[in-house]
Amino acid sequence: MKIEGAYSIAAPRETVWQYLMSPESLAHALLGCEKLEPAPDGSFQAVLKIGIGAVKGTYQGRIELADVVPPVSYRMKVEGKGAGGFVSGEGTLSLSADNQGGTKIQYSGEAQVGGLIASVGQRLVQATARQVVNQFFQAFSKQVLSPSAK
Amino acid sequence: MAIAILGERIKRKEDPRLIQGRSHYVDDFKLDGMLHMAFARSIYAHARIKSVDVTAAEKMPGVMAVLTGADLKGKLGLVPCAAGMEGLKVPDHPCLAIDEVRYAGEPVAAVIATDRYLARDAAEKIEVDYEPLPVVVNPEKAIEPGSPLVHQKLGDNLAFVAKLEGGDWKAIEADTSLKVVKQRLVNQRLAPASMETRGVIASYSPGEDMLTVWSSTQIPHILKTQLAIMTGLDEARCRVIAPEVGGAFGSKLNVYGEEGVACFASRMLGKPVKWIEGRRENMLATIHGRDQINNVEIYVQPDGKVMGLKCWIIADLGAYHQLLTPAIPTLTALMILGCYNIPNVFVETKGVFTNKMATDAYRGAGRPEATYIIERIMDIAAREMNMDPAEFRMKNFPQPKEFPLALPTGVTYDTANYQKALKKLTKISGYAKLRREQEKLRKKGKYLGLGLSTYVEICAMGPSSRMPAGGWEFGSVRIDPTGKVTVLSGTSPHGQGEETTFAQIVAEGFGIPYDDVTVFHGDTGMVPLGIGTFGSRTTAVGGTAIHNAVEKLKKKMARIAAPKLEVKPGELIFESGKIQTKDGAKSVAFGDIVAEAIFAKQLPPGIEPGLAEQFVFEPPNYTFPFGAHLAVVEIDAETGEVKLRNYYAVDDCGRVLNPMLVDGQIHGGLAQGIGQALWEDHVYDENGQLLTGTLMDYAMPKAHQFPWFETSGMETRTPVNPLGVKGVGEAGTIGSTPAVVNAVVDALSQHGVRHVDMPLKPEKIWRILNQPMSA
Amino acid sequence: MITEPFEYHSPTTLEEAWQAMAETGADGKIVAGGHSLIPIMKLRLASPKYLIDIGRIEELRNIREEDGRIEIGALATHYQIEASDLLKRLCPLLPETASEIGDVQVRNKGTIGGSLAHADPAADWPAAILALEAEIEARSARGSRSIKAADYFLDLMTTALQPDEILTSIRVRAMPPHTGQAYLKLHHPASGYAMVGVAACVTLTESGAVAKAAVGLTGAGAKAVRAVAVEEVLSGKSPTNHKLDEAAAVAAQGLELNSDLYASAEYRGHLARVYTRRALAKAVERARGASSLQPVAVQG
Repeated sequence: MKIEGAYSIAAPRETVWQYLMSPESLAHALLGCEKLEPAPDGSFQAVLKIGIGAVKGTYQGRIELADVVPPVSYRMKVEGKGAGGFVSGEGTLSLSADNQGGTKIQYSGEAQVGGLIASVGQRLVQATARQVVNQFFQAFSKQVLSPSAK
Repeated sequence: MAIAILGERIKRKEDPRLIQGRSHYVDDFKLDGMLHMAFARSIYAHARIKSVDVTAAEKMPGVMAVLTGADLKGKLGLVPCAAGMEGLKVPDHPCLAIDEVRYAGEPVAAVIATDRYLARDAAEKIEVDYEPLPVVVNPEKAIEPGSPLVHQKLGDNLAFVAKLEGGDWKAIEADTSLKVVKQRLVNQRLAPASMETRGVIASYSPGEDMLTVWSSTQIPHILKTQLAIMTGLDEARCRVIAPEVGGAFGSKLNVYGEEGVACFASRMLGKPVKWIEGRRENMLATIHGRDQINNVEIYVQPDGKVMGLKCWIIADLGAYHQLLTPAIPTLTALMILGCYNIPNVFVETKGVFTNKMATDAYRGAGRPEATYIIERIMDIAAREMNMDPAEFRMKNFPQPKEFPLALPTGVTYDTANYQKALKKLTKISGYAKLRREQEKLRKKGKYLGLGLSTYVEICAMGPSSRMPAGGWEFGSVRIDPTGKVTVLSGTSPHGQGEETTFAQIVAEGFGIPYDDVTVFHGDTGMVPLGIGTFGSRTTAVGGTAIHNAVEKLKKKMARIAAPKLEVKPGELIFESGKIQTKDGAKSVAFGDIVAEAIFAKQLPPGIEPGLAEQFVFEPPNYTFPFGAHLAVVEIDAETGEVKLRNYYAVDDCGRVLNPMLVDGQIHGGLAQGIGQALWEDHVYDENGQLLTGTLMDYAMPKAHQFPWFETSGMETRTPVNPLGVKGVGEAGTIGSTPAVVNAVVDALSQHGVRHVDMPLKPEKIWRILNQPMSA
Repeated sequence: MITEPFEYHSPTTLEEAWQAMAETGADGKIVAGGHSLIPIMKLRLASPKYLIDIGRIEELRNIREEDGRIEIGALATHYQIEASDLLKRLCPLLPETASEIGDVQVRNKGTIGGSLAHADPAADWPAAILALEAEIEARSARGSRSIKAADYFLDLMTTALQPDEILTSIRVRAMPPHTGQAYLKLHHPASGYAMVGVAACVTLTESGAVAKAAVGLTGAGAKAVRAVAVEEVLSGKSPTNHKLDEAAAVAAQGLELNSDLYASAEYRGHLARVYTRRALAKAVERARGASSLQPVAVQG
């Protein structure tokens, strides 16, 4: 499954980058994120509770960043496991100045779902992924733009 | 007057108990102390098992045992494959995966607990650490060099290559006047999805050292033998009962790992262990059907006579062999000439391993694929030859007087009259008128399509020489002192209605009321021998065994009656409860001779007391039912939706014993065949994840999606058995799939379309209609 | 296909239900007909610890009308709506929509309130509710509020209902004169859900122009939407074939379209246009039939 899109935030690139590299801020923006902690190998351990309407699941996973080019881009590898299924994906996030003085975050990646989610959820899997991403960026931009953040 | 009973529309003996829910399926049995089993299954299509942590599951109160592949290694046999083909690669197939999983859904561990819910909850707590391995799902890619291997040990993914060749290809290939028509066809993977999922109860009694197994199976006797081999118990210590079975369509013509684990667990714990498959497991881990890629070409003379056929079959076998996995595509090769007398044939079949569930017998089992290949290519060729598809087929049918007809594929068709079936079809459907309607609608830009399919199938399986483990069938008939008759059959009907048909055969034979006959089957403790129900064999082979046992008893009874009536035994007939001379002048009551035989006061010398006979019928050949179908479809040009407007079917299954049962088989078969053409598709993604894991996504056909089926019969009896019956269990499925695809392609032909792969989803058709017209 | 363990509550009044909701919090889940929730529980995609079955709260079951205002209790089953003479007369879009849901068994058990609370993106009711400009009554221990259909569907299976609220009824107005309504859908062959479903309500003026058109679209994206752009094209115009084409052409404008095994986003967009066109044409035809006006001669 391909996941790609772009999101603009009315904040300078350096600021956005800072937030994107901060586990606390990411954890805060990821709805249902119960844990996001750095692991000794440089990756992050995460526990995520995803809820879309009545559908709810807890996922334990690992997020790894690579090819970090501040404040331009990084590659992200995600692996998650939950009741009866798994999610894994790899993608790139890149930041560029948009034409209104803000920052455009472009993301593009491939995600794979397996087990229960794959075999019973194909109808909604794409819409769900889209919603999780949208919610993330909404919460993320709110955080970046919140007065306390400045 | 005798009451005619064979050939009558008699209501099924089975129905009252089934309709009222008073019958017992495996899940209805509750045994004292019974435990329940659930499986943890692989979420990966291919992975190394680094570890299986069962501690959390084991700690749950009520969990009696947790088993993994390691626990069973060396103690429980492998899942058996009976297809004894030369050069076949047979990978080890443990009941629970050991070290490696090779398809999503493969059982990894089993939990046995005091209730079913607890077992499921505990199974969810099993932690398996997987290391994902490269996956191959596309069978064409699987045989390319460098493909990931499903079984590292086997060196490649090619399980077998089988070649079938007949005729004189040098002459054909040198003949430049022949037109070669080629097409690549994909026969997609399907889910059998019977209404009742699989289920098993294994109950081992340590005191008696007896293992009793209730299983939702089509083959209780074969299952008994295999479970004895797997568990190491003496076969005499094993009994398999197939109680009411809620459909199977071939998917329960098998021995599954879960059955083995249930037996192992029951022996280990000394308690009955029940496993009832959930629907999601059923979609994932019960065998799948079809899944072939066919490259076919035919060689046509300028006058339309087809002189040769070549086909390269790639059969996706999945990750392991189930009971008959590799044998199924070989049936495709055997029947690839359909009802055409094509003198030259070449078929190469490659069986390929992929990281998917095994394929195996599913309604038609290899023959729907064959019929699809030949009926599609005949339609394509007719168009290219500018001939009407009916006329083109007529030209290539053998004449009725040519039967029995030996084909270059090595099979000999028994009897047929293909011309008559097609003529009857064109008459009842108003074929010529439909063609005129099509012409008119075309001018208005509307899409109406007519699709013909003339099929022949191979049934009544089969001569033992050509079957993996015996093709005979057992029947026994016993007359009790009250004059009532008990019939035992080695077949295992599971919805087909043979309790009714068999009773009809016996009642007609003895000239007694149909209600006086009771039929039992599906219990190895009751029926000494048997093969089972599959391959449209039950009535033709099993019914014949019963018929012949009746004849044996009648001879004996006539010998007892003859001296009393002062006639020769050969002069007596059985009619209306009497044994009498043909003119009716001398008679004795049926019941009197029964009493005489059983109480044995004055039996003629040399006659054993009692009235019980058995017969094992070995069929000298298969039977070859045939038919002609016509589908009429309308296509919504704006959305690509296909509407099946009419369906006409003429089916000849030999002698019809009960037209109502035949209609039922045809109707159900049509629904399944049309389902494949239009809706059904069991889809894996490129990572080997099954995407159609529920009936929300897998499109099973539903009654409201169909028009009224106009069915019509013909009777061309077979000499292969004394009843003259051929079999009808799979005919509807076999004939209908190509009819529907031919109809849709016919409708789209004005748009230059030559072929569309199944299922014919609206989006596919919309895209075709929105492409620039091809030449 | 076995759920995780849960505790079952069956309140008989709203007050008891609210209390149970307050006590169980995020671990509780309301169930009505169970035709959305139970399947996902059996798949273990949802595992509420407490199930609060509101099926015994009788007051939520009624369909009634007063002064042209129709109230449908949340527990009204699809079949109850399909068979309601009152609705057939006053708001035929609802029975027509009900008749397209699932199969007989589903319609006998599933409820309109349950379906709307679940808000499956391919459910049928949302299209009709949007086109009828219905109001959704939500009640909690804090009080009652009325949510406009247009404000109700927020995102994929996400609605404006608050965690402590129960959807208690749906209110619609009786169909005004010179109005036609229609619901058309392409059924998914397995689930029966709408690949795309379009509900259209068209009211004509005395002269046969479109006084008001309202179109609800389901199945196309993450949530059901009102096809405002379509309505704008038609407003005040004579509904000629050409005009309907023009209106339908913008049906999928601005939507993020779903794509799955059965239909790509592109095809869904196409279906949205075709079915909008067809639903509008049917609604217009019915509006003309419903009025005493002579049909206006329309040529595309």
